[in-house]
Amino acid sequence: MAQVTPMTLVAETVGSNRIIRGRSIVHPLGDVDLAPEEEHELRRMLVQRALDALASEDRTTA
Amino acid sequence: MKVVHYLNQFFGGVGGEEFADTPPNFLEGPVGPGNLLNQILPEGSQIVGTIVCGDNYAVENQQDIVSFVNAKVKEARADLFVAGPCFNAGRYGMSAGAVCEAVKSESDIPVVTAMSEENPGVDVYRGEVLIVDSGSSPANMRDVLVRIANLGAKLANDETVGPPSAEGYIPQGFLRTEFVEKTAAQRLAEMLMAKLKGESFEPEIPVTTFEPIPVPLMTTEIAKAKIALVTDGGLVPRSNPDNLPRAFSRVWGAYSIDERPKLLEEDFEVAHGGYDNAHVQQDPNRLVPVDVMREMERSGAIGSLHEEFLSTTGNSNPLENSRRIGREMAQRLKEAGVDAVILTST
Amino acid sequence: MRLTLAVHSISQMDFGSKTQLEGTRLQIDVEELRRCILQDRRLQSVDLEIARPGESCRAGYVFDIIEPRAKEPGSGADFPGILGPVTPVGQGVTHVLRGAAVTVVDGGQPGGELGYESRRGGVSKILEMSGEAAKRSSYGDLQHLVMVPRAHPDIKRHAVLNALRVASCRAAVFLAQTALSQLPDSTLDFELEGPKSGNGNLPRVAYIGQIHGHQHGTESDEHILYGANTRGMMPTPLHPNEWMDGAVVISYSWGARGLETYFYQNHPIIGELYRLHQSGQANFVGAIATISSDQESEMKRNSMMGAQIAKWNLGADGVVLTKYAGGAPHTDMFETARQCEALGVKTVVLTSDTASDSRAESALLINTKEVNAIVSHSEGSDVRFQLPTVERIIAGNSEVADIMSGLSELTPAALCGIANNQGASRLQPIIY
Repeated sequence: MAQVTPMTLVAETVGSNRIIRGRSIVHPLGDVDLAPEEEHELRRMLVQRALDALASEDRTTA
Repeated sequence: MKVVHYLNQFFGGVGGEEFADTPPNFLEGPVGPGNLLNQILPEGSQIVGTIVCGDNYAVENQQDIVSFVNAKVKEARADLFVAGPCFNAGRYGMSAGAVCEAVKSESDIPVVTAMSEENPGVDVYRGEVLIVDSGSSPANMRDVLVRIANLGAKLANDETVGPPSAEGYIPQGFLRTEFVEKTAAQRLAEMLMAKLKGESFEPEIPVTTFEPIPVPLMTTEIAKAKIALVTDGGLVPRSNPDNLPRAFSRVWGAYSIDERPKLLEEDFEVAHGGYDNAHVQQDPNRLVPVDVMREMERSGAIGSLHEEFLSTTGNSNPLENSRRIGREMAQRLKEAGVDAVILTST
Repeated sequence: MRLTLAVHSISQMDFGSKTQLEGTRLQIDVEELRRCILQDRRLQSVDLEIARPGESCRAGYVFDIIEPRAKEPGSGADFPGILGPVTPVGQGVTHVLRGAAVTVVDGGQPGGELGYESRRGGVSKILEMSGEAAKRSSYGDLQHLVMVPRAHPDIKRHAVLNALRVASCRAAVFLAQTALSQLPDSTLDFELEGPKSGNGNLPRVAYIGQIHGHQHGTESDEHILYGANTRGMMPTPLHPNEWMDGAVVISYSWGARGLETYFYQNHPIIGELYRLHQSGQANFVGAIATISSDQESEMKRNSMMGAQIAKWNLGADGVVLTKYAGGAPHTDMFETARQCEALGVKTVVLTSDTASDSRAESALLINTKEVNAIVSHSEGSDVRFQLPTVERIIAGNSEVADIMSGLSELTPAALCGIANNQGASRLQPIIY
């Protein structure tokens, strides 16, 4: 499992091993300040980071 | 005070484990340990009836037993409902907790039960139901019943219940701020000295310890993997068919994505009460990124996107709920042949 | 290094024809005080009032509360780096007016921000002189000189705040100077040998305290530690006497809720560690001032350094840690504590409750199993004080005055002197 969350310290506290910094509590994989295409690109980047973390053998916070 | 008592097949005098499937039976007056409890109850109070039910029956037919108990409680016009003591008996503790909770909410009368701290019923029901700490040994029976009677009377008379250590019940986990004699500085100095001397001390806020989780490794490459999306942000289909609550959720749902290229605003809503959900409502992919996952499926970056996403409300959830939900979700995904999960949290 | 406090009890404070201390009665020549404060040309006026225990009076939003103190000539500067040159303090004789306080109210920016509304917003730091809230407040039984300095309209916000800080210190010294020629009612000595001290059998204890939280913002001319603004500050060893003798004042506004300079001067934790030392139960080896950072890397570096200083420079066996107000400072404090524990230095921390749902499991924002000794003052988020209608409101401007006169209920976090982050609080979360 890879976890995308803005609350990385809490995730670390409970033992989550693969943590990706989410954008915001109110839109972890989005950003209302971006234009739609940019927001989509951001989401793609975060998901890709999550997939990379899954493939990795180490604990990650990215 | 009219009291209705709940016992399992063993304490109810029906028999041992072989009678665990016994359906509920209502008997007038006290039964078994109820007789002792009856003597201990304050003047003028008595056990007017006892429900005896097999442990297996109760666990497997929870709806039934709850209805049965509530009906009897209403008929008897009970002022107080007592279940157990259950000591270490796990099924008994779970059922006692369940019927107490149900009576409390449906019949709206005070309830109290008793079991040992290790009993699984404690973690599930302690927040809703007052549970006297019975320890594991039935040799404590009298002492346990005395505490049950005390607490029961206080609850029934709407008197203030003291802290767990004073009244002998298992802490429910609620913090109440009170003014005390000593300043924080004095308490800090005392606690430091105790810690330095190797003496025992109690932190004022309990420290929950988290076991480190070994890093699980992928058994297939990502490009061939079936990936599932899970969220604790409480995204649910419109009308919230599983009734996910705004917080403290005991339940979770599995929701079909089918072949959808993305999640649409009109099909979903957010049950989670702990964050401003306007942005996720407007575009649910901001929480559950089906759109991007679908693209990655098409481009071959991942093998496939699992056909459903799992969802719960991760808002101020007692750890036991979260742990159980996590286990159950993992079970479902494993059975569906999912290789990895992306969990999205707010 | 020995600090002697010459303590003069104050039972009465009045405006009169002369500024003088007669027995326990402090008389203040209000015009003389006004002239003293208005030396600062950024100020165009200053309101001066006295608020006494039990009076139907509410003041806010409070910038700071300071105990009137003045150093005997030759003992060092008063509030070094703020009123005068940077010289070491924490030794010699300091005269104290006990039972009195200088309370400065922030008038906000004329035509602009409403005092603390600018750095965060919301009702905060109210001084209540009557009713249940006053009884529970450490400040309820003090004679307060309440000051509302008003700056010229063209003075920028950071300069206004600086002027408030200077005025608060000036007034505190002005009042206490009346005691310089008087015999004190009692004297208290504070002396430590420091890290080199012997007493090998006694446990060595130290204090690590946050003196600012940078996530709340920092002005370049904000005076906090010997006049410095603490930007980029790394953990700094400070003699406990310096802490109590004017080297440290609180920072501005919202981030400093539950903190007043009064409780640096009368630091509850330094006081307790001194008590352990003087009664022969422990060896108080020193203190470390640190900050709470807004950046993760700085937080990690400072936490590590603070722990290293405690271990290698102070040789501490055990440490008490406190934090600045708010949620984020928990991170710095817990990480520092964790690093201490890893070095074999035992810790105990003071947290504020972060559980809005009042559940014990949710109460700790961060926890690590090594940091298992926790005292909490809870901020008392579930406690409510019913407030009476008061006759006198002392506020910086009419909007704040309206807000304050309309208050009927407040939690301890919004009041001065109840949920205190410096250790004075008598609130405790009880687990039910």
